[in-house]
Amino acid sequence: MLLFAFVAPSSLTRRGKGAVRSATAPAERGAATLWRRLAEASAVIRGIGGAVERNRELSQELVRVQTELSGLRDAENDNVRLRRAFDFSRQAPFALIPCEVVSRNIDGWWGTVRIGKGSTAGIEPNRAVVSPDGLVGRTAEVAPLSSEVLLLSDPGCRVSAKILRVEVFGLVRGVGTNLRGEPRARIDFINKDVDIHANDEVVTSGLGAFPKGVHIGYVSAVHRDESGLYQYAEIIPRATAGLLDYLFVVTDAGKEPAP
Amino acid sequence: MKERILMLVLIFSGALLQQLLPAWPLLGGAKPPILAALALHYALRRTGRDLWLAIFAAALLRDGLDLGPFGPALLAFPLMGLLARRVRNDIFADGLVTQLVFGALAGGMAALMAMLVYMGSGQRPVQPGHALLHLLGAALLGMATLPLVSRAASRLEAALPRRRGYGWQ
Repeated sequence: MLLFAFVAPSSLTRRGKGAVRSATAPAERGAATLWRRLAEASAVIRGIGGAVERNRELSQELVRVQTELSGLRDAENDNVRLRRAFDFSRQAPFALIPCEVVSRNIDGWWGTVRIGKGSTAGIEPNRAVVSPDGLVGRTAEVAPLSSEVLLLSDPGCRVSAKILRVEVFGLVRGVGTNLRGEPRARIDFINKDVDIHANDEVVTSGLGAFPKGVHIGYVSAVHRDESGLYQYAEIIPRATAGLLDYLFVVTDAGKEPAP
Repeated sequence: MKERILMLVLIFSGALLQQLLPAWPLLGGAKPPILAALALHYALRRTGRDLWLAIFAAALLRDGLDLGPFGPALLAFPLMGLLARRVRNDIFADGLVTQLVFGALAGGMAALMAMLVYMGSGQRPVQPGHALLHLLGAALLGMATLPLVSRAASRLEAALPRRRGYGWQ
């Protein structure tokens, strides 16, 4: 068993994981749909409760209208979210595959989410995953029907980046989440002589499989490295991925996005 | 047969639910260990083939749906099974105190094994403070999860239709 855990051939692991994930993919999609329906239903119920609290003498007709309005508001929110995602995918200068987040990680050790498309849709490992807010992470393990996305805040995710104002390069890596669950990252190996301020924008540098100029976040604090040779900066990543969000996998990272 | 099918359905549903539930940042990002709790529930109540079927089904799902190699749950869950088989005749499996202790053990052991495998194979950096918080969180969530999961599974099993017995038949 120990041998299997540590030195199992990667192809065997990949096939095994692919089989497990392919078996669970339809159920995951079903569970995600059910979760969305439950969230919508609870939003409608909250709407009714709020209306009753505000005015106990509202007629049954008014409650019905309120319920309908809550449903419409949800639909409107969905509409705005989808329209924003659609506009983003249409305007982005790189080829994107739109995907829906179908589940989170199973154990909490890794900062990952699973998207409902895999190698059959043309997704490959180590591709950038973006949202309208910026870089979310990268694809890590790709099964035929689903892919695991390693989030930017995970310590295993490293991205070559630059600070836009001063055009200086560094390496962004995740440092997990704080106690409020907010994602954190930092940019390492910045030239110690460069003057960096809070709120400087950090974008991808274009090295590797990631597209150039994708927004990562803003600098929140600057520190000197222990060795004194470099400085590093804490970043607040702007794009976060929740359950049922829409994400985009970049398939062709050739061009820089328009400013 | 019905009980075995229900067991597998529960384990599969438990895996889906464990993924959908959010992680707890205050507890180091730990999640309720539903699969570990189900594996332990069946390890304390079933014998022979069913015991190992439950343990390996839960372990395969847990490792198959997580990033990294198969290993953490495939090591932790059989260890829990062996331990449970050894002590099952000496404890009252439905007692709340037993379930709290074993729940903490299940959550903590699964998290510890995952941490050891990730550190040993060099797959990811583990910060000591975060790791300790995660282990404590997993143990606490295990304490809360096992009694709930165990009660739900027992009730569902009791609700299964049974064939009426006719004396010597």
